[in-house]
Amino acid sequence: MGRYLIRRVLFMILVLFIVSLLTFLIFVKLPAGDPARRAVGKSTTPEQIEAAREAFGLDKPLYVQYARFARGLVPFPGWFLDEKVYYSYGNFVSVKEELFRRLPVTITLAIGSAVIWLAMGIPIGIVSAVKKGSVWDRAGMLFALIGVSMPVFWLGQLLLYVFWFKLRWAPKSGLDIGASIWVSIAQGKFILPWITLAFTSAAFYARMVRGNLIETMGDDYIRTARAKGLSERRVIYKHGLRGALTPVVTMLGLDIGALLGGAFITETLFAMPGIGAWAVQSIGTNDFPVVMGVTIVGALFIAAANLIVDVTYAFLDPRVRYT
Amino acid sequence: MVAVVAVLGIVAAACGGNDSTSSSSTDTGSASADLSGGTLKFAQLADFYSALDPQKEYSAVTWEYYRCCLLRTLMSYKGVPTDQGGAEIFPDIASAAPEISADGLTWSFTLKQGVMYGDPFGDVAVAAGDFIRALERTADPAANTGGYSFYYSPIKGFDDYAAGKADTISGMSAPDDSTLVIKLTEPTGDLGYRFAMGTTAPIPPNGDAKYGAAEGHERNYGRFMVATGPYQIQGAADLDFSVDPKEQKPVAGYVPGRSLVLERNPNYDPATDDLRPAYPESIEVTMGGDNNDLYNQVSAGEIDFVVDGAVPPNKIKEYTTDPDLQDRLNVYPSDAVRYVSFNLAMPPFDDIHVRKAINWALDKQGFRQVRGGETTGQIAGHIFVNSLQNNLLADYDPYATPNSAGDQKKAMDEMKQSKYDSNGDGVCDDPSCEGMLTITDREDPYPDQAAILKDNLAPLGITMDVKELERGVMYNKCNDANSHTAFCIGPAWGKDYADGFTFGGPLFASGGLWESCCNYSLLGATPDQLKGWGYDVTSTPSVDDKVAECSAAQDEARFQCWADLDKQLMEEVVPWVPYLFDNSVDILSPNVTNYSFDQFAGLAAFDHMAVSGG
Repeated sequence: MGRYLIRRVLFMILVLFIVSLLTFLIFVKLPAGDPARRAVGKSTTPEQIEAAREAFGLDKPLYVQYARFARGLVPFPGWFLDEKVYYSYGNFVSVKEELFRRLPVTITLAIGSAVIWLAMGIPIGIVSAVKKGSVWDRAGMLFALIGVSMPVFWLGQLLLYVFWFKLRWAPKSGLDIGASIWVSIAQGKFILPWITLAFTSAAFYARMVRGNLIETMGDDYIRTARAKGLSERRVIYKHGLRGALTPVVTMLGLDIGALLGGAFITETLFAMPGIGAWAVQSIGTNDFPVVMGVTIVGALFIAAANLIVDVTYAFLDPRVRYT
Repeated sequence: MVAVVAVLGIVAAACGGNDSTSSSSTDTGSASADLSGGTLKFAQLADFYSALDPQKEYSAVTWEYYRCCLLRTLMSYKGVPTDQGGAEIFPDIASAAPEISADGLTWSFTLKQGVMYGDPFGDVAVAAGDFIRALERTADPAANTGGYSFYYSPIKGFDDYAAGKADTISGMSAPDDSTLVIKLTEPTGDLGYRFAMGTTAPIPPNGDAKYGAAEGHERNYGRFMVATGPYQIQGAADLDFSVDPKEQKPVAGYVPGRSLVLERNPNYDPATDDLRPAYPESIEVTMGGDNNDLYNQVSAGEIDFVVDGAVPPNKIKEYTTDPDLQDRLNVYPSDAVRYVSFNLAMPPFDDIHVRKAINWALDKQGFRQVRGGETTGQIAGHIFVNSLQNNLLADYDPYATPNSAGDQKKAMDEMKQSKYDSNGDGVCDDPSCEGMLTITDREDPYPDQAAILKDNLAPLGITMDVKELERGVMYNKCNDANSHTAFCIGPAWGKDYADGFTFGGPLFASGGLWESCCNYSLLGATPDQLKGWGYDVTSTPSVDDKVAECSAAQDEARFQCWADLDKQLMEEVVPWVPYLFDNSVDILSPNVTNYSFDQFAGLAAFDHMAVSGG
């Protein structure tokens, strides 16, 4: 396992390097305009543009520019997201400072929605599998079909319009000025964003649990358990579910990892000041240091989630051994 | 001012509405104790472009915060519409209008007494030298990224300071704390307007620091800004300028990308200020969100106003048709023009008859309709918005057609006079009329407008190769002389301040040519420039002399001069087809009990807005 972990960490570093290089190249080659020109605004002189280019380090050769940014991705004190390189071209805020300030919102969104989609998706999947072919199964799969078909941006707007604007059952979007995360949670500010994020995933997980459980319940060891005289409840929950939920663990880790990189649409729609909303704004303004910082942090979360999930899998399933 | 115009101007209305201005209870400018108090709640879709740094911010939204609330300047505006004097400037920190020498090269301002800074400089009075400090920072390339320092080049020594060739701006002096003297290299009739801009707001001294309180904050002075207006950023009292700038903590009331809270400036003396009623007790601004949802919040009274949004079509329809809501809908000219530009170095646009023909052919009504109809603005018959010429050309439209729908016959009659119509049938015969590179914005409604233009030009034998681009890329391509773009369909232009120079200079003088901005028509380009950009055309018309003449003029002669230039452009040069003078459309929450439109910024005047419960 030790050698396996080392190999995976090295592979993770390679993946992050490739992601950073691709991100850099995309922005260098994008026709979205020269960041220096955007920064200096209009009615400027070539000298001012050159001064801005020099200030942003854009006058250096491409490999030098990349090296400056790549150095900032190394988790070494004084290097990681170095403020001399990683600052917004727009408002000059430090990328590191802003990322850490926004991370709690994104984490809250990710974890809260995960709790909801698990609480919805797993029971629906179990009921559908156990009562396969019944009206409960059909209802569950109808929910799943609607859920996976519904675009997040549409669902979010619908929820806001119905439950806030019309019914006033939920608070308006955005966080109150000065309110902490806990206060905002207590105010119910995260409920609609959680539901928006969770709905599609709940539908997907319901289908996945149903399919896995149906398959597992046909296995020999389940037949043996029944033959031993165990109650059906015990057969399902103690024996069947364990095998059926193992892939769910895998997906859960990856989904949370992806969400930690920012739920772009939900954060923007609900005015949640998380990493995703910031990324959307920064892409629109060609704010490269921010985009690079957010992309790498997102990639890091996904890569780390992958690693954690794989390791967890080995503990869940004794047949899995890594060397 | 193109990006903000693009946001404010993109509205789509259902049928109905009218293109005359309407307003709710418009303030006359006099303060009323009954209206004071309460908290105004705003929403902004986007954060400030440059974190509120006055030497960097180039946005009407930020300029309104400066004017209404945070930063007083030598001259300023009343925050009212044009017909109430909103395009005029008045003394603010200056005690009176400046004294101008006979040759127009020396301007002297005398300061009012008793104008104090906000916290933590509450015991410091504004002095003449503080304006010099602000202009030096304006000139400093390390601090002015994205700003508009070019407006101050006529100040003697300004460019030398900017280039690092001098330690001071030689043309600015403060013989005493109450007197500021400015010497110019050329007469500049609108200098007073330029000293109404936020970048000229005074910066307090701080020990020996060259830039005073702004020292060490080249990137982010906005988060340490010291106010002079009726408001300051909440938490300003906790700013500590005694420590090294790197150790200073930014003001708590502005969280970039998230929120801004303005509280009353305890050191502000209303007796020194005739311009700002400053009704609300505080202003809370949240950032981010969805446009439609934010306007629902306005309707519900959860917030009072969306600063940088576009009122959705269903809301416009609702507010124009419901008698109970009509007085909460405000429509005013935003002093921006939308246009189609020609590249005069690209055949067949080197022929004035072709350009005139397109002016006749364009269906301006159709363009307006796809934008949302009459509420979105007034059909433009000329280039400069009317307020910049004191309405001298309000009824002038040399290419007027019935219902502004275009006139194909007149267009073809004009085309017949062109060298590109060899057989005089009103249709272009030259290959240069085919597949003309046309750039437009890819967002709605610009592709629809491109389709209308295609239909309008087909009978003239002109076909287009339309490229739809992201807005920023579009503007870049239109501006880049090397791109050989024939048509630009998407642009818009708003004034920076209420003077024709903000149109004439950047749009039509040679100083606005690539790599500067925004003379897309390449007027005034030299043969060497044209050759360097790859054109076979060796000359384009120039209006540099006229722009210089108007820049030096003053008072009524200035309005007339810009009007003359407008006519010259429309009849003798024809660089554009202007089609719409944009409207600004606002809706207000039920809590707002007073409103005024600030013609300077083209937005609601925040200091005039009062809320119930105040």
